Amino acid sequence: MKNILTSQTKIIIALIVIDAVIMVFLTLLSPTFLTYGNIVSLLTRMSELGVLAVAVTLTFISGGFDLSIGAVMAFSGMIAGYSTLLGLPLFFSILFALLGGAVIGLANALLVVELRLQPFVVTLATMTMVRSIVYGFMRGKTITAFPDSLLSLGDKYVLGIPLLFIILVLCAILAFMLLKKTILGRYIFALGGNERTAFLSGVPVRTMKYFVYVLSGLLSALAGLLLVIRIRAAIPDAGLNAPLEVITAVVIGGTSIKGGKGSLLGSLLGVFAMFLLINGFSLLGLNPFWSVIILGTVLIVVVGQEGIMVPFIALLHRKVRS
Amino acid sequence: MRKQLRKVLCTFLPGGNEMNGKKTISWYLFNGVKFREFPILLYILIMVLFFSFTTPGFWAVRNFENLSRQIAVVGIVSTGMTLVVLTGGIDLSVGSILAFSISIGGRGIPLGRPMWIIYPVILLLGTLLGFINGVLITRIAVPALIITLGTMNIFRGITMVITRGIYITPIPPEYTLIGRGYLPFFFLLIVILLFMFVTLRTRLGRNIYAIGGGEQASLYSGVPVVKYKVVVYTLSGFLSAFSGLILVGRSGFIQPQAGVGYEMNAIAAVVIGGTSIFGGSGSVLGTFFGATLMGLILTGLTMQAVDPYWQGLVTGILVVLAISLDSLRQIRGRGQLISKR
Repeated sequence: MKNILTSQTKIIIALIVIDAVIMVFLTLLSPTFLTYGNIVSLLTRMSELGVLAVAVTLTFISGGFDLSIGAVMAFSGMIAGYSTLLGLPLFFSILFALLGGAVIGLANALLVVELRLQPFVVTLATMTMVRSIVYGFMRGKTITAFPDSLLSLGDKYVLGIPLLFIILVLCAILAFMLLKKTILGRYIFALGGNERTAFLSGVPVRTMKYFVYVLSGLLSALAGLLLVIRIRAAIPDAGLNAPLEVITAVVIGGTSIKGGKGSLLGSLLGVFAMFLLINGFSLLGLNPFWSVIILGTVLIVVVGQEGIMVPFIALLHRKVRS
Repeated sequence: MRKQLRKVLCTFLPGGNEMNGKKTISWYLFNGVKFREFPILLYILIMVLFFSFTTPGFWAVRNFENLSRQIAVVGIVSTGMTLVVLTGGIDLSVGSILAFSISIGGRGIPLGRPMWIIYPVILLLGTLLGFINGVLITRIAVPALIITLGTMNIFRGITMVITRGIYITPIPPEYTLIGRGYLPFFFLLIVILLFMFVTLRTRLGRNIYAIGGGEQASLYSGVPVVKYKVVVYTLSGFLSAFSGLILVGRSGFIQPQAGVGYEMNAIAAVVIGGTSIFGGSGSVLGTFFGATLMGLILTGLTMQAVDPYWQGLVTGILVVLAISLDSLRQIRGRGQLISKR
């Protein structure tokens, strides 16, 4: 009887309950929360961090780590902006932006695979470098010269659901298929479970690491484009808090930072829970830095337990015992 | 007695941990090249030559005063970071600890509290935050990077919430005393010498190297790993707060955004100084040279009118180069097929 629900399912159910509870609270506390406008803006804002969460989930499952996601977001926005300023057609500016992200991912992979460096430190360094490049070129200014054909995507709705959110859902479904239905997905899980064993059983370890880091860079660049569409400008500070926010959300969703374990649905529910909290803070008129404090605390509390479920169970046990 | 003295003095020379008091100055002249710290000295020399030819005014006294003050703040933070990295950990929260201690501790300044209360309070706050880091890292079985990524944001968030982002700006002149002239550099030298002695000649230092070399092994050989790790992070917090005092003395105001990005500068100084990011090998002296080299390069770039925005790129490249060299050295040493991980 006990094993009908796996720990993964438990985490997802717990997250759904938590999301529902926060929503009920916010509805009671603020009359503007449960309006169509607020929910739509919530879903739209969630889209770019959701895409980042998909990228981070993939890297974590493979046993890797990528801190450079936020900087790549700003980088791709900058490339798209400058290509538009140079008068390139929209297709090329999007292509170059995505390519830029992929190149950063490739650089990460090269350093991690060929020189056997720790992904923590490598991506910390690339994060600093890419952010510095963005600041150096943009000098604190924003680029707003984007064509309307790109910006109007932010106002499109399909069946009342914002298009940006649908892009996120598409990304998540594709990544889910990749993880569950293809051999690549099985390789990624094997790689994160135990690299040595995976190598000895014939998993192309090096190729898979390249694949994961390049994919992470590509998805981060896509997230950067989504941000550009949403705020109608490329800003140098884009994704400054993204590593904290996204890693926290992913870890809440039951993905292990040690690799080999994780779920995309959990990550997305984690992002949603985080956005509900941030939205709630702004609706209640609190200092936005409170959310940073709370996210940091949640990260530390949850990360050792691999998912939001275990601390709760531990809490219950403690209560029962005393 | 003379032998003992010479043994202690040898601590402060490159490769001091291999000394047994028998080596003489002439021995250094012939064998000094072999040490890890030697190539960095060479790079420093190259940089000084390069900038003295390309940058007019590089040899001005003002410039060196400026340079020494810049090195001092980063160097003191890096010394704490060296201890942490030697144990195989990392501390991303140094900048946030610095900002937290000076902004929260400095709230007594507009109220007219005396300096002999403010300074200890600031140092105590830094020590406390470092202690919290250490306790969390040893209680929760998670890489130090994740924990300090969390605390970095928590400390910064608390600072911003409490201060509401407001500067503390008219600061009494006695607080700027510590940042005048070559005084910051003098403090850096004291800190470096002190921690060179601690790492190479005390039980704490020996155990720091042991933990970095192999945590499991040192645990089984009876090293109180948890205790020493907490001590190391606490020291890092204390040193961050101390460099905060110097920063306040240098700039003459207290801003809650102080110290953003210091973790990267400190890690750069540490790895450039030859300390392995995997822990267990490296030295405080190397970090001093690393911080000097970084300070030289960054100041030189500023004097060549390069935008300060590009400093992150330079720091990042230096870090990647340094850790690549270290990793290549290890690969050559082991000759393994895939990484240990």
